Amino acid sequence: MIPIAITGMGAISAIGNDTAEQLRSLRAAKHGVAPISRLDSPHREKLMAGEIVLDNPALYDLLAIPRDQAYTRSTLLALVAVKEALEMATVDPRAAPGVRTGLVSATTVGGMDATERYYDDYLVSETHRHYIATHPGGYSAEQIARYFGIRDFVTTISTACSSAANAIMLGARMIRAGLLDRAIVGGTDCLSRFTVNGFNSLMIYSDGHCRPFDENRNGLNLGEAAAYLVLESADTAARRSKPALAYLTGYANANDAFHQTASSEDGEGALLAMELALAVAGLHPSAIDYINAHGTATPNNDLAEGQALLRLYGSAAAIPAFGSTKAFTGHTLAAAGAIEAVFSILALQQQLVFPNLNFSQPIASLGIAPQTALEARSINHVLSNSFGFGGNCSTLLFSNAHE
Amino acid sequence: MNKPIYIHGCGSISIQPTFAADFAFDTVRTYTQNPIAALDPDYRSLIPALQLRRMNKSMRMAIFASRMAVQHAGGMPIDAVIAGSGLGCLKDSERFVEMLLAEEGETMNPTPFIQSTHNMAAASIALSLGCKGYNMTYVNNANSFESALLDTMLYLGEHPEQAVLLGGVDELGERSVKFWELAGYLKGDSSEIPVPLGDAATPGEIAAEGAAFFVASQQPGPTAMGRVTAVETALETDDPVAFIDRFLHRNGLDASLIDAVFLGYSGDARYDGSYRHVASARFSHTPQLAFKHVLGEFDTVNALAMACALQLLQGKQIPDALRVNAEKTDRLERILIYNQRRGSNHGLILLEQ
Repeated sequence: MIPIAITGMGAISAIGNDTAEQLRSLRAAKHGVAPISRLDSPHREKLMAGEIVLDNPALYDLLAIPRDQAYTRSTLLALVAVKEALEMATVDPRAAPGVRTGLVSATTVGGMDATERYYDDYLVSETHRHYIATHPGGYSAEQIARYFGIRDFVTTISTACSSAANAIMLGARMIRAGLLDRAIVGGTDCLSRFTVNGFNSLMIYSDGHCRPFDENRNGLNLGEAAAYLVLESADTAARRSKPALAYLTGYANANDAFHQTASSEDGEGALLAMELALAVAGLHPSAIDYINAHGTATPNNDLAEGQALLRLYGSAAAIPAFGSTKAFTGHTLAAAGAIEAVFSILALQQQLVFPNLNFSQPIASLGIAPQTALEARSINHVLSNSFGFGGNCSTLLFSNAHE
Repeated sequence: MNKPIYIHGCGSISIQPTFAADFAFDTVRTYTQNPIAALDPDYRSLIPALQLRRMNKSMRMAIFASRMAVQHAGGMPIDAVIAGSGLGCLKDSERFVEMLLAEEGETMNPTPFIQSTHNMAAASIALSLGCKGYNMTYVNNANSFESALLDTMLYLGEHPEQAVLLGGVDELGERSVKFWELAGYLKGDSSEIPVPLGDAATPGEIAAEGAAFFVASQQPGPTAMGRVTAVETALETDDPVAFIDRFLHRNGLDASLIDAVFLGYSGDARYDGSYRHVASARFSHTPQLAFKHVLGEFDTVNALAMACALQLLQGKQIPDALRVNAEKTDRLERILIYNQRRGSNHGLILLEQ
């Protein structure tokens, strides 16, 4: 199989506006979750979320987009992250003749932040009607593609909280099938009243800071983020003497087929996704040095995911260092798989395991404990999980080398 | 390059009675309204009443069409589900926005939020089939179905022994339709189905909804209707003729080898020019068919065009209601579908016997 090189990455989240800032925060155990400050909602100053410091006008200016054009926040965040990824990869899609370049973007919020803001306003005033077109999830990818001149292939995936992992997987599969030479892949979701109220109505929104894998966890914090990777066949990268940051060696998606929103208690879908991804990479579970878990800190997810890890490894002692970074960023929904892909690649580059914050007591029925402190160790393979509504379970494997 | 895939069964729902076994567009329903809701089949014939009550329209259309497809394919076991939906479950999205505008901060019913998730149709199909395999949803405007089709070909290339349930679904939402009117997407007073095409076309689309699902694999089989041999998309194209030429050339063909072409005329005078251009430049001696003038416009309507093309590959005559020109052919072995919406998201699907 064609090795998939990752030659660029970009990320913006509550813990930083670029990849270097993400790393600084991860190293310093500095999280970005705080009482909601920007969202115009009764939940402001009450519920906690991982908000990005830059507001929309600042993002417009940063991207040199005239303020009268309709870009919603998810798209603005995506543009920042894609820009960084392309710069790191030293790639300009407009100036890459003969290199078939695609964009696979993921979102669940799409333009919902504009729709919920102008829902009644659109009917009575013309002022914001140019935002009507921004509602569909696919519109964001169109704007990203046009901004950077990506023309060969554009698509959008929306499978709830596993969306970005699935976008990364499609890019890799298209390169392996010879359909693309290079793919810009990832996801974006801004904070919205729609999603905050959605998770709150499901009673899985924590009243404090989320506590992944803790016995007393009581729900998630949402966050907003965008993160994108540049994938290319190892040959394409080698031809331009571009060293890979890391390789994407495994990927899989499976379905729990259990419930609309809840995971099965035995973590069946999660286990299947991890097993299939390991099979694609040709790796034994014991080869994994660090697991970036989905770990949303909802009672159901962490129990199911922990159960799946126990089933994959056979015993608590056999599970490698694992943890969730959701307490740093909040759960960033369709961006989660991509922001955590960036964290996984940083773990490989820095040979560091990042801490799972806010943990104090293992889940009694599982007896497994996540990594709680930053630790330097030898890391060759990182496994990253992303699970979503509809039983959608995805696993990605990142490696230092492709053999 | 992807290998061809066989389609073993299909089921569909639309503003025409496409769910009826013998329906082949020989007579079409007429309408004088905009938007137009999909006709309801007897959902209870394939979905238990208790489950049906909890399903929104996307979910019930998708599950009904997919069960029809699986039945049609002789109950073939399904290993993966891949769907396209431009707008997902629009009504529940609207309902949840309306709830939060009215009751934010109070206790809210989570059901519309759950069922607003874009992948809920594909997820419900997996749940109803007990399918634990690959499950994907594409939301790429008018290229959503082609993306699902491309992934299906890719997936079957990776898993040649498996079968995929593939489809597209889109539903209307009351407030969204108002927004589309305000954005100038829709026809006003002149709304009628069949939509007048060509010189009689007026600005605007007729908003509709529907679903079509298919069972696909790399193996031929007793119920095989035809093959999808290639699919391609382009967000934008400077010249649709060149786009089609390149696609056909890559597949070892030229336009003279296409026996019939489906063109996505919506009767929107502002955007139908690309079809007229393609038709006169490459397909003037080829039977040309339209479909959106009888099915209305929605992001995944081309899935219904594919269902119709498969009927023709199986020997059905070209229905007069779909003809755009008078060209005849005694051979219907290779059909091309070309669609775009409002000048973007161009898609090509090549079907062969």
